[in-house]
Amino acid sequence: MKKIYLHPLPVRLWHWINAGGFIILIITGAQIRFGNIINLFSFETAVDIHSWTGFILMANYFIWLLYYLLTFKIKIYIPPLHHPIEFAKKALRQAKFYGWGIMVGDQNPHHSTPDNKFNPMQQVSYLMIMAALIPVQIITGLLLWDPKLFSPVVNLIGGIQIADMIHVLLFIFFSAFIIVHFYLATLGHTTFAHIIAMFSGYEEEYEEHEEHGGHAEEHSQ
Amino acid sequence: MDDIKKKILISLFIVFMIFPIYVYAAKAVATKPVLSDEAQMCLGCHSNKDMSRALENKEILSLYVNSDTFVNSIHNAISCAGCHMDISMENHPQVKKIKSKKEYTANASKTCSMCHTDDQLRKNPVHSALISNAACVQCHGFHSIKGVAAQKAGLGQTQYCLSCHKSQISMPLKNGESLSVFVDESSLRNSAHGKLECTKCHSNFSKTQHPVRTFNSIQDYFIGGMELCKKCHSETYIKYQDSIHYTMLKSGNPKAPTCTNCHGVAHATTRTKTDKTLGLTSCNKCHEDMKASYEASIHYKERIKGNEKAPICSSCHNAHNIESTKMTTKIKEGCFKCHKDMEKVHSRWLKNPPITLSSFAGAHFDVVSCAACHSPDAKRGIYLSLYDRKTGNPLPEEELLKLLETDSNGLMGKIDTNGDGSIDAKELWNLFQQLYKKGITTIFLGKMDVSTAAGAHQIAGKANAVKGCENCHRPDTKLFKDVFIVVKKAEGKSTILNAKREVLNSVFSIAPVSKFYALGSTNIKLFDILFIVALIGGIAVPIGHASLRIITSPIRSLRRMGKGGKK
Repeated sequence: MKKIYLHPLPVRLWHWINAGGFIILIITGAQIRFGNIINLFSFETAVDIHSWTGFILMANYFIWLLYYLLTFKIKIYIPPLHHPIEFAKKALRQAKFYGWGIMVGDQNPHHSTPDNKFNPMQQVSYLMIMAALIPVQIITGLLLWDPKLFSPVVNLIGGIQIADMIHVLLFIFFSAFIIVHFYLATLGHTTFAHIIAMFSGYEEEYEEHEEHGGHAEEHSQ
Repeated sequence: MDDIKKKILISLFIVFMIFPIYVYAAKAVATKPVLSDEAQMCLGCHSNKDMSRALENKEILSLYVNSDTFVNSIHNAISCAGCHMDISMENHPQVKKIKSKKEYTANASKTCSMCHTDDQLRKNPVHSALISNAACVQCHGFHSIKGVAAQKAGLGQTQYCLSCHKSQISMPLKNGESLSVFVDESSLRNSAHGKLECTKCHSNFSKTQHPVRTFNSIQDYFIGGMELCKKCHSETYIKYQDSIHYTMLKSGNPKAPTCTNCHGVAHATTRTKTDKTLGLTSCNKCHEDMKASYEASIHYKERIKGNEKAPICSSCHNAHNIESTKMTTKIKEGCFKCHKDMEKVHSRWLKNPPITLSSFAGAHFDVVSCAACHSPDAKRGIYLSLYDRKTGNPLPEEELLKLLETDSNGLMGKIDTNGDGSIDAKELWNLFQQLYKKGITTIFLGKMDVSTAAGAHQIAGKANAVKGCENCHRPDTKLFKDVFIVVKKAEGKSTILNAKREVLNSVFSIAPVSKFYALGSTNIKLFDILFIVALIGGIAVPIGHASLRIITSPIRSLRRMGKGGKK
């Protein structure tokens, strides 16, 4: 079984800070919103933690952005839109794998390498999250953090209730996403394979891929 | 030589000293009128300063006649009986019933009219206007009467005016009211205008002209009077034009205060620099219902302790540019006049980490009135005021009524279509949509405020202020229970309509109430449901998928076996 160095240290650090931050933001966000039901912290403590974490994650986001831009690794997030049909087919194949193939023992059509880390579905969703949803969540979070300081932007989008609406809808999306994301992380060749890889950096190359690779070699011969 | 000098000196002394005295004396003797025998006889008694008699109403009528002034009066040539026709040298009735001084002076006027006929007097428009409600003697005096020309020449401008206006004369108005045109000279002298000549303000009047004017009412006269004040106090008048009082005036409200309603008549106006209570006492004339709550406030308590800086009405509401408090945040500026750097002060606890900015407290100040926290016993509510989004100004009720084709009585019925007496979120949305279709994009700007004006004045010490985030930021906060829709009237007052709490939590309110939001308490319910659905979905997908994987695990095992994975 081969090991591929898939997750460099900066990416792993960013990922776990982000993951922890997301969980804290979701819990404190829920405390802020449902103060009559949840009683983990006082409103004031929840706001304090939420704001501190929000700023930490904002800094973390920029670290991520800087790292991926400077190392040109950002391209792993960009779907090959110059081959849209081929990309769509791959995405469909990936969806079919999660919906059916995984049940019947098909091999994962995607083979992660440092240059081609994400399968088409991951690529689209992570690009959307990193390029749009997180920046929007950061911006709307800042607007709610100090509506008066950012009043020109608040007025531009139509009012603070609109900023809250966007922030809450994304909060709902991220809350659901993080559960599904965690589940998908258990779909490696073993339950903890992907999770361990996110700590160690090394993804184990599943033997089916080796076999697949072998077949490919055989085909090419 | 010395004799010659002496003679010259004596001659000069005679020329310069004695001769003028002689000339003056000679002239005096020559021009001094001689009183008739009859007059001299009357004065034999009536020159006694103590001579008087009690009238039927117990008033004391002085019977003293100053012989010197009478001698110099224009009537000096007329014998006493010329006017007092029932009295002569032979006949002096001892018992003559006189009810009051008023009756006496009225009778005296009748005597004047023996010579100065009504027709003659009515030629003078001032006389014509006064003739029915003032006695001749009130302006012209009794025995000291002078010719008009002599009187004008002998008096200064103000004194000339006062020769009539010092008397209790009044002016009949069209609505039947009577306007006193009496000027109390001592009050005038002590007033802020004491050094001004009458003509400085009453520029159409002088010794030579006295136009006769007519007014509908006393208020009408006061409104006209503002034009006089404006001449000097133009800047103040501009401020007044920005006030709710002026708006009331423009809309024809007869209770709208003018300059004189607050400052008193111009002839007795005190200096605002010295009268520090004017901004309280004058307001109390109309707003007396606020007095008790103000007197229960820390502001009043400080004032009676002697703290001159403790605010009165005008300190917060301004003296002239007073606005309707329901539709403005400007009232805070009144508080901030004394309470400086309040955003910074509140930032000590009203902050959001990691950076403490005063703007965060400022964001709260924009939607929470000072009294909402600092009047702890007051009832509070959320007031959603109707504004035109494009102009940024309140949409006046008059315009709203036109757009909705109703009148003020039908307004609530037009909005509250289900007729339950309270506007719900759907009804608010319908109103918003209805107005949008008619070209008006509206917005309901929210504000937490005390529900009664009394509550706004009953400010307590800061130790008793409402403090702590959870007072407001909880879905079940009591402070957001009462919600109202506020529509400003053109005259500055507001119509307040009941609304339901759900207005703050409905998806229908996102657009109409897009600028009012409070963390935790204006949660959109639909999003809460969506959150629960998303959580359930987020959990259900992995459970479902994992279950299917468990169910299908035999298929995978078989397939592996088929591939020779398991032998």
